This record gives sequence, C-alpha cells and structure tokens, in this order.
Amino acid sequence: MLVDFELIERARSGDDAAFNQVVQAYRKRILGTIARLIGRPEDVEDVGQEVFLRLYYSLDQLRTSEVFEPWLYRLTVNAAYDYLRRQRRRQESRMSDLSEQAVMLADAAESGKKRDEEQRRTKIRELVDSLLGKVSEEDRILLTLKEVEGLSLKELEKIYRVNENALKVRLFRARQRVLKAYEAHKEKPDDQEV
Amino acid sequence: MRDMTTDQSGDKLDRLFAEYREACPDPEAGAGFMPGLWQRIDARRASNVVMLRRIAQVCVGATLALTLLMGAVLIPRFERAPVYSTTYVDTIAADHPNTYVDILTGDIK
Repeated sequence: MLVDFELIERARSGDDAAFNQVVQAYRKRILGTIARLIGRPEDVEDVGQEVFLRLYYSLDQLRTSEVFEPWLYRLTVNAAYDYLRRQRRRQESRMSDLSEQAVMLADAAESGKKRDEEQRRTKIRELVDSLLGKVSEEDRILLTLKEVEGLSLKELEKIYRVNENALKVRLFRARQRVLKAYEAHKEKPDDQEV
Repeated sequence: MRDMTTDQSGDKLDRLFAEYREACPDPEAGAGFMPGLWQRIDARRASNVVMLRRIAQVCVGATLALTLLMGAVLIPRFERAPVYSTTYVDTIAADHPNTYVDILTGDIK
C-alpha cells in the first residue's frame, strides 16, 4: 500500500484533501499501467483522469480500505477496456498515428545513440502492441497485467473476482494466441527481429 | 521439435514483455493533471445537480398534469351524480311524516 488506511478512510468520508493525497500517491503507478495497457502515450492522462474520477464517485461503495488497491486496479482495467473498445473503431487511423508518433519520437532524439535507443523502444512498443492486438481487449488487459505489470494470480483474482483456475485457462489461451502471432511475425522475411 | 521451438518462442515472448515494460516507463503526470481532474469532478457534480433538478421538474410537472387531469375527469362526474340528492331535513321528514306535521303545526305531544 502506498498510503495508509486512515487516509483512504478520510477520502471515503468526503475529505477532498485526503483524496488529493491518494491520487498523488497512486497516479504515477496508475498512469504507467494505463500506458502499457492502452499503448497510446498521448491518451494516458485522459484515461488516468477518468480512473480517478470514477474512484472519487465510487469510494463510498468500497467495503474496506484493505481492498483499495484491487479496487483501484479494477477501475483502471475498466477504464482501459472502455478506451480500447472505443479505439477499436478507429484502428486504421491508429496505425498511421503510431508510425507518425514513431517518426516524431525519432526526430526528437538529440544524439544518434539516443535516437537508436528510442527507435528500438518504439519498435518494441509497436511489436508488443500489434501482438496484443491479436487478442480481445479483455485478454489483452489480462495478459498485460500478468506478464508486463507482474501481478500475481492472487492479485488478479481479487481484481477480476473469478477463481484462479478460470484465470489460468484464460491466460493460457491468450498467451497461446499471442505466441502464435509472435511466431508468425518472426517467420515474415521482411521483418527484423527486435 | 515443435515443442522446443514453442518453448524458445515462449522465452523470447517473456523477454519481449520485459523489454516492453522497460520501454514504457511510468510517465510523470503533467502540470495540468490535478486541475483537469478536479475540473472533471466538478463538471460531473454539476451535471448530477442539473440532472436531479431536471428530474424534480419533470416530477412536479407530471404531478400537476395528473392533478389537472383527475380534476377534469372526476369533478364533472361528481357533479352529474351527487351522493345526496335531498337535504338532511327532507330525509328525516320522509322517515317520520307524522312528527313532521306535528312540528309544523306546533302540536307535539
């Protein structure tokens, strides 16, 4: 826990200053998670504000402060899921945006070494984004939380409120799909290995 | 052979996810993050108030309309079929015709 239970209790009872402190403690972590879940740096703050807005209006539904973190993650997952669902309709424009963004990032790099490193990172981001694009939004989020964010099955159980076995099955299937897409990507002769 | 290839790909995928984690570090929130958040909170609060006000207005309007409708339908019906067609005195007089005559003539025994 990044904050103590007492602060969460105060925020729950309507103390805006306490809520501000909670946001300030968690915003970096949540923004990072959102960035990796949605893969669009320019929209991270917008989705982040949506998460904390939902938190503000749902804090009174929180049973105990102990379940605050899974609760916050659930709000994050839902907001990211809503965003990805909205974005699915604009997927074509997204691809052009991404390459534009990659060019901009590359241009912004000052030295050659920095540019190479940034290009490599951009390539990784694009590759993982495209691989995760092969599975549904739900599976993309679940896989990212497990494989990238490093959440344990116990933590995921609390977030999703489903049993461990069901999660394992879903994770296995999602991972298999991504693995298949990754193998197909590697077999393409014109693609360079990252 | 196939399993070995899949295992290798699985390891590479794990490494790729780890590299992805490094390639996407936690971003710092911009200066406008907190003011923007409070703006959205206030906007939602204001929209909730507006919505409640609108619901209240609709309820008041519906109640008024229902009252008028009930008035328009029920009042003429009551007027057409009054519950009492005679007065209290007439009813008693009809039940006691003799006493009534005695009272009128002042001959009460």
